[in-house]
Order: sequence, then C-alpha cells, then structure tokens
Amino acid sequence: MFLNSVVLILQEILEAALLVSVLLVFTRVNGMRAGWVLLGLAAGCVGALIFSLNMATISEWFDYVGQEVVNASLQYAITLLLALFAFCYGTGRARLKSWMLTCMILSVTFSLSREGAEIFIYIEGVLSQPPHIRPTLTGAGIGAGIGVSVGVLLYYGLLWFPRRWVTFCCLLLLATVAGNMSSQGTLLLTQADWLPPTATLWDTGTAIAENSIPGHLLYALIGYEATPSLLQALAYAAGILLILVSHWLGRRRAAGTISHHSTPITQTEQS
Amino acid sequence: MTELLKKPILILLVALSTLGAERVLAAPLVELRIKDHLFFPETLEIPADTKIKLLVINEDPTPEEFESYELNREKVIPGNRKAVIFIGPLAPGEYPFFGEFYPKTAQGKVVVSP
Repeated sequence: MFLNSVVLILQEILEAALLVSVLLVFTRVNGMRAGWVLLGLAAGCVGALIFSLNMATISEWFDYVGQEVVNASLQYAITLLLALFAFCYGTGRARLKSWMLTCMILSVTFSLSREGAEIFIYIEGVLSQPPHIRPTLTGAGIGAGIGVSVGVLLYYGLLWFPRRWVTFCCLLLLATVAGNMSSQGTLLLTQADWLPPTATLWDTGTAIAENSIPGHLLYALIGYEATPSLLQALAYAAGILLILVSHWLGRRRAAGTISHHSTPITQTEQS
Repeated sequence: MTELLKKPILILLVALSTLGAERVLAAPLVELRIKDHLFFPETLEIPADTKIKLLVINEDPTPEEFESYELNREKVIPGNRKAVIFIGPLAPGEYPFFGEFYPKTAQGKVVVSP
C-alpha cells in the first residue's frame, strides 16, 4: 500500500504542480503579487472535496459516463483559460491584469479539483480499512512532498534562465499543458463514446513504457502517451497552437495600438 | 453573446448525443465485477476490431480505479457503484488492466481473438 500510495499521489500532484510553477514564474517575472495562488489552491481543495463527495452521483450521469464528461469539460476549460491568459499576457496591458489573475486562479482551481478528487476518493476508501491507513497516509505524504519539490525545483530552475528565455520557456510549457489537457479530454470523451475511436498513430511503449518512471514524468510534463490516437494527437496540436496563436494575437493587438495610453504590467507594478 | 452561442452549442450537443446513442446500440455489452479487490472474470475475451461497452460493477464498499496503459483507459468506480467504459476496436493481442487503488490483487486482461 505504501509504494502504491506514493506513486498514485505523486502522479496526481505533478500535473497541478507544473501548472502552478509555470504560472508563478509568469507572476514573478512580471512583478505581480503571488497571492492569487493561495486563492487558487484553496478553491481547488474545496472543488476537489465537492467533486469527490459527489463522484458516485456524477458517475451515473449521461448513462454512466458522467465522470468522463465532467473531467473533459474541466480539461477543455483549462485549455481555454490558458489561451485567454496567453492573449492577455501578449498584450502586456496592466488593464488586463485582473483577467490574467482570473484565468490563473480558475485554471489552478479546475486542475486541482480534478486531481485532488481522485486523491480524496482513494484516501477515503483506505480509511475504512484500519491496517492500510498508516502506510497509505505515510506514502501519500511522501508522494505529495516529492510532487511539491519537483514544482519548487522547476520554479527556481526556470527563474535561473535569462529573462528573455524565461518567458519563452514558460509559454512553451503552458502550451504543452494546454495540449496535454485537450488531448486527455479528447481521450476521455472517446472512452465515454461521445467521440468516435480513431486509429492508433504509433507505439513507443517498448522505448519508454508508460508505467516506467520516465514514462510517468513525461506524462506529467508533456502528456506522454505510448499509443496515442489520431484524434488525441490532433487535440494536442490544437491545444499547443491555441496558446501560441493567442499569445501572438495579443502581441499584435498591443503593437497595433501602441500609441494608446496603456502601461505595461511591469511598469505599474514596479513604480 | 450567450444568446448568440446558445444555438450552435445546442446543435453541437444534439449532434454529439445522437452520435453517442447510435454507438451505444452498436457496441456489445461485456460485464466485469470487482469483489474483494479482485476482477471477475480475470480474463475478458472479446472479438477483434469491435467496440465494446464494458460495464464494471464494483461490489466492494471501497472505490477502485480501473486503469490500463495498453487500453489507454482510466476511471474511478466508487464503492457499490457501476461504471461504463468503452474500449476498442482493438487488434488481436493481450491488453492487461489493473485496479490502481489495489494493484497487488486487482489484475486482469482483455484478450482479443482474431
């Protein structure tokens, strides 16, 4: 139970930790206050609790595929929120700062609600079996600790880059998170039979098995899938493009209206 | 804005749901039970190139997570509840699955015959 618990919790935490770290780097680089993250984390925990307590009912929606539909909706919503964030960030307007904050808070809330619900359900099930409680909770603590540590390492690792590169790396990471989310959402809708099954594109399972440590890490980082379907790959590419195009549109808009009385975020915050 | 979006979203949802409904009728139903953190039957035999509607019945009071890397499937099944998972169409071969919450005992596989 111990090792299983470590792996299970770590898996769930990594995905959310990546998103939180990247968004925090954006916050730091732009001299914004990081207080929003507490709100996002708190709302995410509440969301996870509500989701997990109602999981039995939600699972029976839409002829027993409610879980897939709700999870996929949250994942698509995260993709759209990150796109809106990238757009606002691209414009560099202080006026859009509240939009950026809203996007960051909501995307962390949704991400944590999904991942956290699974953790709560797992732990709640174990609590009814006294001999398993101790090893499971210890394992969960260690798993969460490793997950958070990876997030912290990533945060400082990214900040170590020169400023120009930090933004670029964060944007790319954000794009892969969005691609991962829309790919996973698409997979879930296929599992629910709301989307048709499509051909498997390739099988890299022998090179990097999904249940190996590099497999798990790559899954959390870039949504690695050994046998992706055509629809999943398209959704992944669409998610990445959406972020990059949104950012580009934001920048173009800013360049087009540069003469207006707008101030870049950095200046207002630092003054 | 919301009024403007309502119609296309509604049409999309109706289109998606009819797409789903057609497929439910087409997919054969296969039952899988979870009892004492074990799968019954342990081996599911299904035909090749056919989409299957897998009905997983969790008879344990504890939740379980059906997971398979080979099938690309993952789903939490709350205690004493049922869940539907669509799998396939698959090429002939073996596709292991397991219960992520109790992997020591909860192991099984889908065998696809040509």
